[in-house]
Amino acid sequence: MPFNTLQDKDFFGRQEELSSLYKRALQADSGAAQSVVLSGPRGIGKTELLKQLFGLLFWKQDRVAPFYYTVNPALLSVSAFSKTYLIRFLCQRLAFEKKEQALFYHEGMSLDGLTAHIKDRDLSWAKELIDHYQRNAADPLSALRIALAAPHRSMLMSGVPVVVLIDEFHRLQDLFTEGAPDARLVSLFEEPISFRKTPHVITGNAVEIQELPVSSCLERIPLQPLGSADASARVLSLLHANEGEVNLPPLLLRRLAGNPFYLGCIGRATSAGKKTGDNAFWDAYIQEVMEGALTLFWSSVLKSFFPDLGQRRIALAISQRIQHSSDALSCQQLAASFALTDSQAEAIAHKLYLAGIIRGAFGVFRATEDDVLRDIIDCQHKKEILAKPSHDLESELLNTLLPEKAELARFDLTLPMLRDTELVAAQCLEQLGKNHRLDQDVVGQLQIAVIEACINTIEHSRGGERKIYVSVVIDGNRLEASIESAGREFIVQETGEPFNDRDAAKIPGRGWGIKLMKRFADEVRFEKTGRGMKTILVKYLDKSARVQLEDTITRE
Amino acid sequence: MTPKGYINDLGAESLEQTSDQFLGKGVKKLVVNFNDVQYINTIGISIFTSIVQKTMEYDSTLCFTNLKKVHRDVLEMMGLIKYVKVFKDEEDALSFLSEKR
Repeated sequence: MPFNTLQDKDFFGRQEELSSLYKRALQADSGAAQSVVLSGPRGIGKTELLKQLFGLLFWKQDRVAPFYYTVNPALLSVSAFSKTYLIRFLCQRLAFEKKEQALFYHEGMSLDGLTAHIKDRDLSWAKELIDHYQRNAADPLSALRIALAAPHRSMLMSGVPVVVLIDEFHRLQDLFTEGAPDARLVSLFEEPISFRKTPHVITGNAVEIQELPVSSCLERIPLQPLGSADASARVLSLLHANEGEVNLPPLLLRRLAGNPFYLGCIGRATSAGKKTGDNAFWDAYIQEVMEGALTLFWSSVLKSFFPDLGQRRIALAISQRIQHSSDALSCQQLAASFALTDSQAEAIAHKLYLAGIIRGAFGVFRATEDDVLRDIIDCQHKKEILAKPSHDLESELLNTLLPEKAELARFDLTLPMLRDTELVAAQCLEQLGKNHRLDQDVVGQLQIAVIEACINTIEHSRGGERKIYVSVVIDGNRLEASIESAGREFIVQETGEPFNDRDAAKIPGRGWGIKLMKRFADEVRFEKTGRGMKTILVKYLDKSARVQLEDTITRE
Repeated sequence: MTPKGYINDLGAESLEQTSDQFLGKGVKKLVVNFNDVQYINTIGISIFTSIVQKTMEYDSTLCFTNLKKVHRDVLEMMGLIKYVKVFKDEEDALSFLSEKR
């Protein structure tokens, strides 16, 4: 392979997505495949999924040739890009033809070298492509068109469809012919992307891709965070440990929000440390946030958008302000706070948005929901702008995390799938509400949602184990109930939303359950787990209290 | 009518039978007191829908009393509340019905 991929045993929670993309890619054979863009926040696993897809297409079938290309920021002159793109395509296409892995490593060879390599083979289509390119190489735009069309031309001449996989696609906005980048050049992808026998699967920085002209030609496939079971397994695999031997603290697991990159960093840092138990994970997290790979990653993102140190300091300060503001902030507010002009503030905020550090594209900006990023920004802000010493940073970060750790209370129930079993879960919640003096209305709402989730779980259960696993966690201002069973899948993998069950819809009252869950819980998530399916319902206690208050005021 | 405990399919069907009997005998005013209802689910509520429909067919009036806020929210969300009269307690409902000819 021209790149490293995770081994099957370490590739968690993406089998469904991989299988779905693989099936889509094979549709190129019948001319029915559509180009797609994989989207999701940084670290969610888009690149790894693309690499796994390439491996699968290369080794497991002969009908559709895969071509993988990572846009290199050092090769963005149109001439350099066109030539590299064509050579890599030809090398990988020939490698697929003969299943010769060694050909991957010929990617550095010249077109003349490649011509010599194929001269004794019956590959007229490849020779013709090279001749065509060489005849037009003096005109950079023609050369670019020929390189981009190469997969399609090879398909027309050889009959073998090609799936083009492009990573870091957003970098193509910096393609240039003479000096300055010309974002219009990326429009030349519109035609190749539209062919159904040479579909493209592209990924990169989702926000920047969204702003490129080709994005309207692409179907968007969002990648969801890993579910808690897969997230935990990802970390444990790096520790060479099994579930039960070592357990990732639930609070930390939630903080990492199913992001495979974050999970990998914590797994590796924990593995390198000497402590055991919960403290080993928390220590690893603190070190990662202060000066580990996590921080390095986000610092490099910030540097790439703000190469100038002065600008970077302002950008960091603005990020920190936005991360801690409960309201969205306008460019005017930011300009006033940081003694900038409106246009300076807008330019910085827009770059932060493109970098994925804040949200909002229409002049009003707010924090992302990424707790790890917030911790890193806080830490960097204190270190680089407030010049606080390291031990202060560590103790302040601990203070942020420890109150949450102390308030955690967890209850696990295993219920047989018997009639009205959902009432046991509902009554458990009621007692928990009394023990923790929670608002009765809040508990009542979550009870309704839990009852519906249990009924849903029972309806979608499949043979074998007739049990429901209910967990309730009270964690600071957060009340979470999860309902899990060996149920068949009832969510659409690409959206994470339940699909419409036509049979259920015929039964009076069915179809309302999920609406009720969404009405009465502040968050509703559906996750595929090793056991089956899990529904997670979250109620924010302070938010609910606010809602109660607002309701009361409205009624009055 | 005073349903108790859990309004699921069985609970609601039993209530439906009772209301059918009353409506069949020509009763024009029905009161359902939710005071002892602890939990409800969507299957139960869907059966309530048919009770409401029959009440309307018989040109009768259906009143709900002593609803917990969360139960009222569920009925509202499922679009049932606009077809019934809701009162704080039985006394209020009876007072309303006695004034109604």
